[in-house]
Amino acid sequence: MTGLGGLLRFMLRRERLALPWWLLGATLLVLVQSTQSQGLYGTPEDLASLRRTIGGNTAVIAMSGPTRLLENIGGEVVFEILAYVSIVVAMMSMFLVGRHTRADEESGRAELVRSARLGRHATLAAALVLAGLANLAVGALVFAAAAGTGLPVSGSLLFGAATAAVGGVFAALTAVAVQVFENARAAYGAVALAIGAAFVLRAAGDIGNGALSWVSPIGWAQRTFPYVDNRWWPLAVPVAVAAALVVAAMALLARRDFAAGLVRPRPGRATASAALGSSLGLAWRLQRGALAGWAAGLFLLGVAYGSIGNSIEQYVADNPAVAEYLPGGAADVVDSYLAFTALTLALIVSAYGVVTALRARSEETSGRAEPLLATATSRAGWLGSHLVVAAGGAASVLAAAGLGEGLAYGLATSDAGQVPRMVGVSLGYLPAVLLVTAVAVLGLGWLPRAAAALAWVAVAYCAVIALFADSFDIPGWLRRGSPFAHTPEVPIDDWTVAPLVVIGLLAVALAAGGYAGLRRRDLGY
Amino acid sequence: MSVQNGPAIEIAGLTKTFGRAKALDGLDLSVRTGEVHGFLGPNGSGKTTTIRILLGLLRSDAGTVRMLGGDPWRDAVALHRRLAYVPGDVNLWPNISGGEVIDLLGRMRGGLDRARRDELLERFDLDPRKKARTYSKGNRQKVALIAALASDAELLLLDEPTSGLDPLMEAEFQRCVHRLKAEGRTVLLSSHILAEVEALCDRVSIIRLGRTVESGTLSQLRHLTRTSISVETARPLAGIDALAGVHDLVVDDHHARFDVDTAELDEVVRALAPLGVRSLTSTPPTLEEMFLRHYGDEAAAEAEAAVR
Ligand SMILES: Nc1ncnc2c1ncn2[C@@H]1O[C@H](COP(=O)(O)OP(=O)(O)OP(=O)(O)O)[C@@H](O)[C@H]1O
Ligand SMILES: [Mg+2]
Repeated sequence: MTGLGGLLRFMLRRERLALPWWLLGATLLVLVQSTQSQGLYGTPEDLASLRRTIGGNTAVIAMSGPTRLLENIGGEVVFEILAYVSIVVAMMSMFLVGRHTRADEESGRAELVRSARLGRHATLAAALVLAGLANLAVGALVFAAAAGTGLPVSGSLLFGAATAAVGGVFAALTAVAVQVFENARAAYGAVALAIGAAFVLRAAGDIGNGALSWVSPIGWAQRTFPYVDNRWWPLAVPVAVAAALVVAAMALLARRDFAAGLVRPRPGRATASAALGSSLGLAWRLQRGALAGWAAGLFLLGVAYGSIGNSIEQYVADNPAVAEYLPGGAADVVDSYLAFTALTLALIVSAYGVVTALRARSEETSGRAEPLLATATSRAGWLGSHLVVAAGGAASVLAAAGLGEGLAYGLATSDAGQVPRMVGVSLGYLPAVLLVTAVAVLGLGWLPRAAAALAWVAVAYCAVIALFADSFDIPGWLRRGSPFAHTPEVPIDDWTVAPLVVIGLLAVALAAGGYAGLRRRDLGY
Repeated sequence: MSVQNGPAIEIAGLTKTFGRAKALDGLDLSVRTGEVHGFLGPNGSGKTTTIRILLGLLRSDAGTVRMLGGDPWRDAVALHRRLAYVPGDVNLWPNISGGEVIDLLGRMRGGLDRARRDELLERFDLDPRKKARTYSKGNRQKVALIAALASDAELLLLDEPTSGLDPLMEAEFQRCVHRLKAEGRTVLLSSHILAEVEALCDRVSIIRLGRTVESGTLSQLRHLTRTSISVETARPLAGIDALAGVHDLVVDDHHARFDVDTAELDEVVRALAPLGVRSLTSTPPTLEEMFLRHYGDEAAAEAEAAVR
């Protein structure tokens, strides 16, 4: 275990750009939720009415936590946000451990470190200490955010500790996963699956008799019932599990070869299938996994939104403040809820469009585009194939989101007509999504190094305009730049085709402009 | 567009700058159809940049470039059907197997010879089913090499194609290039492995700091350098230090060792003959020595530039 200190300092240095954002994200979630909840349900009467509404709403319980937490305002904050802070912290821990262990081993960077005089377990130990420190920081920040916004100190302390405990379990789980799998992506996939399972198991447990919540790290954290019961003993479970996982990881590490895993990767095909014969075939092959992931994720989010749709009328009647966030106000509550959630989903899909289009850029900078463009493939064909996948993918993901929302809402209201209706509403945002995607293409052509930043600024701008224009009092001229502001908000608005056509044409023009830049410039830097 | 007997590549006065750095500074290069042309130069001298310009990936700033009778930038797609390329640094898609990559690149070029592909897989001992993520550097290089060699391209642009190959594979590669030559194809081979260049190349061009410093057949280039002579004579050796072109002379009565400018070799041998030559060995300069001279020059030039 020699060299641990130096290694740890080196890791911290490499994390100095990314780690603060994770910490900030977790802190903001608690800060915003605490302020907002105390504003909405500040009085015991408000809380009582919330308990009545949510008490039997399985969808809300599934998306939040056990209703026992609704006894007081601190518990209400934990009810709403702990599951999500847990996911953030779990992912932070996963990347912290994964990046410095398996990802480094895979890239060969670890070989350099390893050849220096270091103990066999030093890298893993340092990565775990790093994750431990980061989770302590999260715990402290959650405590500060909760106590700082006026929640009781003892409960806030437990809130912070429970959050850190979840992170610790997933850091330890990642330590095992990186021993088992030979590449970082597979390890991340396995841990992400475990995070998803932790959320689903606690959802099932919280709706049912609670037993399943006890096999979920998120469930362990929630069942400390901060502010309500303030019980610390459930945290013994994550501590024991994390310790056992760390011991297992260290033992597995001692048994395997450097850069090898316990699971051998499956061999691939010896010859290419007929589909893999063009740049379009390749772009599809590279992107199909991500597309399936996004479509599934947005479908589930749609289901979550749709299943709450039915009870939203009651909910808004009980909480008039919520209506302020909805475009149609309290009138036509359900329709404005559906319109608002469809818009939110479409904003997320624009991030998919940008990620997918920017794949062309990473292909270029990694040098993988070079041998392709040395074949009889034109630059137009190469860029075009990535854009076809991006556009077709965006349409599919939008359709999946609408399908999820329509299905869930339709089932709740026994109205099959909701399915095509919501798919249509969602697809109405396709031109806007494509326009944001086209910003990435324009950047790709003319300012390749800044393309990613440019495109993400466009996404962030659209999101801020759509979600916060009213609360931030953003002037009208600044709002008009967002294509989402010009897309009719069906079902509260009526369909109007003209703006959609104009936005679509603008997207095509921007993409063509991007290509004009690409065919002029040097490739590969 | 096809010009049968003209040069495959004709570059004159090629210039390329990246920001402020001048990567190519008036480079000339002529590759004849059907020859294997060695492209040599120290690290950072501009070999890869030249090949990227030939591929139409980079745009030249000045100078003329013709390849297979066309303009590499304007006619890129049409020219690419007739050439194959092996990059110096092969990056592959981690989740796609080597066999798939070979087929993909072949199809995108416009077809590849299946029998030849399978034969090359055998020769280079490459498992086509492995995902690219699990290939070593040498195996990644093999994937790109097989894709290029299995094509029917007239012109092959090979940028350090054997960096990372083991000696057995290096020998396989040389066999393959001999076969290409026999088939009348043209090869531009950038390499740091001088034995390989010596074994394969009809002509070579040496570049330095983005400019061509030597170009010609190996024997022409040898002519520009020195030959080592070791001689024993009946009469005492006198006066040879006065001969033109003699360097690093070590004499001891009847024995002498010295280097001579190859251009002056004839004169020196004439002067030795009257002394009664008992034995004489002459060692032509190796490519290695030629190189060290050029690389050394560069180091000197750089030091000079730093002082200024
Ligand atoms: N995209 C780029 N941006 C800036 N400078 C570059 C770029 N590509 C190459 N250069 C510079 O141009 C010069 C020539 O580089 P090039 O890669 O052509 O050399 P090379 O002869 O292939 O070297 P090596 O033998 O190391 O492969 C170098 O000084 C390099 O730093
Ligand atoms: Mg190079």
